[in-house]
Amino acid sequence: MSSRQLLPRRAAPAAAVPEGAVGPAARGRRRQSPRARRRRWLGLAFAAPALIMYGFVVVVPIVQSVSYSFYSWDGVSTARFVGLSNYTAFFTDPELGEALAHVLVLVLFFAGLPILLGLLSAALLGRGKLRGAGLYRWLLFLPQVLTSVVVAVIWKRIYGPNGPLNSALRAVGLGDLARNWLGDFTWALPSLGVIGTWTALGLCMVLFVAGVAAIPNELYEQARLDGASPVKEFLAITLPALRGQLAVALTLTVTGALRAFDLVWVTTQGGPGTSTTTPALLLYRKAFLNPDVGMAAAIGIVLAIICLLVALIITRLSEENA
Amino acid sequence: MTKRHLMGAAAALLATATVLTACAPGGSSSSSSSAKSPSGVSTDVAGDDVTLKVLDFWQNEEGKWMDAVVAGFEKQHPNIKIERTTQDWGQVMNTLNLRLADPNGPDIALVNNGWQSMGTLAKGGRILNLDAYASAYGWKDEIPSTILRQEQFTSDGKQMGSGSVYAVPAARSSLIGLYYNKAALDKLGIAVPKTLADLEKACAAVKAAGQIPIAYGSQDKGSSTAILFGLQDLYSSAKDIGDFVYSSGSVPITSTGITQAATALKKWSDAGWLTPNHQGIPFADSMNNFLAGKGVFQFNYTGSLGFSAAQKQTYGYVQLPQANGDQVVGTGSTVGNLAISAKSKHPDAAAAFLDYMASKATAQASVDHGYLPLLHNDVKQSAPDPELATEIAAQQKLTDSNGFVPYFDWSTPTMLDTLGGQVQLLLAGKSTPDQLAAAGQKDYDAFQAQRAKG
Repeated sequence: MSSRQLLPRRAAPAAAVPEGAVGPAARGRRRQSPRARRRRWLGLAFAAPALIMYGFVVVVPIVQSVSYSFYSWDGVSTARFVGLSNYTAFFTDPELGEALAHVLVLVLFFAGLPILLGLLSAALLGRGKLRGAGLYRWLLFLPQVLTSVVVAVIWKRIYGPNGPLNSALRAVGLGDLARNWLGDFTWALPSLGVIGTWTALGLCMVLFVAGVAAIPNELYEQARLDGASPVKEFLAITLPALRGQLAVALTLTVTGALRAFDLVWVTTQGGPGTSTTTPALLLYRKAFLNPDVGMAAAIGIVLAIICLLVALIITRLSEENA
Repeated sequence: MTKRHLMGAAAALLATATVLTACAPGGSSSSSSSAKSPSGVSTDVAGDDVTLKVLDFWQNEEGKWMDAVVAGFEKQHPNIKIERTTQDWGQVMNTLNLRLADPNGPDIALVNNGWQSMGTLAKGGRILNLDAYASAYGWKDEIPSTILRQEQFTSDGKQMGSGSVYAVPAARSSLIGLYYNKAALDKLGIAVPKTLADLEKACAAVKAAGQIPIAYGSQDKGSSTAILFGLQDLYSSAKDIGDFVYSSGSVPITSTGITQAATALKKWSDAGWLTPNHQGIPFADSMNNFLAGKGVFQFNYTGSLGFSAAQKQTYGYVQLPQANGDQVVGTGSTVGNLAISAKSKHPDAAAAFLDYMASKATAQASVDHGYLPLLHNDVKQSAPDPELATEIAAQQKLTDSNGFVPYFDWSTPTMLDTLGGQVQLLLAGKSTPDQLAAAGQKDYDAFQAQRAKG
C-alpha cells in the first residue's frame, strides 16, 4: 500500500492549488509541492503507530518462527541448528499425517455444511417475507458471539452420557443410538465437527443474507415475470450474485478448520486415543507441554503456508468465474 | 498487493530470516548454562528489608494453606516480605521459561518435576543450583533420599535423579492411592479392603448389589491414568519404577508392572466395575460422582477430592500393599517444588523461604488445612478428620517400606499423553496391555535417543 492511498481524497486538489506559481512542471504526476509532500509524510505518520504495531505483533513473530523452525530447541538452552529436518519430520510423522486427515474431515463440517446451510437459510430469510425473520437471524448468529470455550463447554454437556442429546434419543425410542459422543473412537471427530458447523453457520448466514439484500429487486421481478420457480430463481440469480460472499466464507471457514484448536482442546484434548488430534493441537503440545519449539514453529509455518494457499486458490477461483 | 510487491515482501522476509537464523535462539541465556552453585551463601537473612516475588499455582482452598505458610514465614523473618502471584497450573507452566528469563521476574517459582520443566530450566541455567544452600541448611540429611532425588539433575541436564539439587519440596504431599466410601461399604456390609484381592472381592459384591464399584471417567487423557499408575505400584518394585523414570540403568517398561496393571484394568472394565460410559465422562465429573455416592471406590491423587466436613467422617484412603507380599509401593511426591530464579537478587532470603516451605511449620499448616503433610510425620491433627488420618496412616506405611516412587509420567515429556491415549484405546478394546506397554517403551526410546543427541 502506498502512502498516497492513506491520504484523504480532498488532499489532491489542495496539492494543485499554487498552479500558476509553480509552472507547467507541477502538472507532472510525480512532482509534488513541498506542502503535498509534507502531507504525504503526515499520512504516514498517522499510520505509523498501526504499522509499527503490526510489525511487532505480526511480522516479527513470523520471521522469528521461520528462524526457529530450523532449530532443535527446548525454549531455554542453546538451540541446535538442524536445517530442514523439522520440515522433513513434519511430512514423515504418522501422527501429523493422521492430524491432517482429521482436518479434511473438519473442513467438511466447518466449511462445507455451514455454507450449504447458510445458503439455504439465506434463501429462506433473505427475501424478507418470513415472519420473525429477525428472530431466526438473531438465533442463528448467536453461536458466533459466544467464545469458543463457552461453546465447547456447552456442547460437552450436551454430548455427555446422560446429557440432553442422549436423553432426547432415549425419549423418542432411539436409545440404541445413544452413545458417548466425545469418547467414542468413531463418533468423536464428527461430533466435534457438528460443534464447528453450529459455530460457523451464523457467520455464513449473515454474510449471505447481506449479499442477498444487495441484489436488485428488479432481477427477481424479471425472473418472476419469466415464470421462474423459486429454485431456479435461487440458482440463476442468488447464487451467482453471492460469489464474493462465498469466497469470503470459504476462506474463513476452511482456514478455521485448518487452525482448529480451542474446540478440540476443551472438548477432547485430541482423544480418545489420537482420534481427534489436529495439527494445531500438536503445535501447542510441542511448543508448551513438550518443549520442542523448532518443531512447533515448523508446524506453524507449514499451516500458515497451507492457509495462504487455500486463500489464494479460493480468491483466484472466485475471480476467474466472474 | 501486486505480484511485484509480493515478491519483494517475500524476499525481504527471507533476507531478515537469514540474518536472524545466523544467531541461534536461546543463545544469549546459554552463557549461564550448567551453572555452578553460588558460593558465599548465608543462612543469616536478618537485616535489610527484602521483598521476594513468589509465583505459585495454589488457589482457592490450597491458596489458604499457602497464605498461612507465608504468614508464618513473615512472622519469623519480619524484614522479608513475600509477594505472591497465583495462577492456574497451566498458565504458570506454559509461561515459566520466559518469566524466569526476566530480571524482574519471580525470585521463587514453582517448577514441575521431570524433563519438561525442572530439567529444561536446570540445563538452561534459569534456576539456581542449590547445592551450597543444601549443605548450609542440611537439606540432604533432613529430606529422605527418595524425595530429594526428585529434585536432582546433573548440571548438564542429561541425568535426572542424581547430581545437584535444583528445587526444594514443599512439606505437603500428593500420593496416588485408593479412596473408599466407608458409609456405602458399611451399608453393603463390606469391610474396607486391605489387599488387592479384598478390593476385587468388594468390587464384585458392590456390583452384585447393583451399585457402581469404581467411580471413573476416562474422557481426559491426563487423568484417565491415575488408576493405571495406582495399580502399577502393586506389581513392580520401587527400584525398578524409579530406575525407569530416572533413566538410570536399563529397565524395560515391562518390568515396571505396567502390563499387569493394564491387564487388571481391562479385566475390571470387562467385569463392569468401572462407571458405565466412563469414556464420555471427564475425570472432574467422576470425582463429583464419587463424592455424590455414585461409586464406592476411586483411584485418585490425594488432595484432589474436596471433602466436606461431613464427608471427612465417612470417606477413607488406603495404600494397598503389593499384589504378592506385604511391601507397600506407592506413587508419591511433594505437591510442589520451589526453585530460585537464577536472576534473583536475593538468593539468600529466597533460600530461607525454601527452607521454611520444607519445614515442620509448613507440614503442620498442611494438616491444619486438611492436606497430607510431607517430610514431617510427627505433626498433630487439631480438628477431627478421620479421612486425613487414613491418608497419614497410608503415607506412614509407604515411609516404613521406603516405597515412594516418582510419578511415572515424569519419565518422558510425552509419557502422560501417550499412556492416556493408550488407556482409552485399551478400554475401547482397540489395544492390548502388551501394545500399551510397547507404546510406552517406544515413547521412552524416542526420548532417550533425543536426549543422547543433547
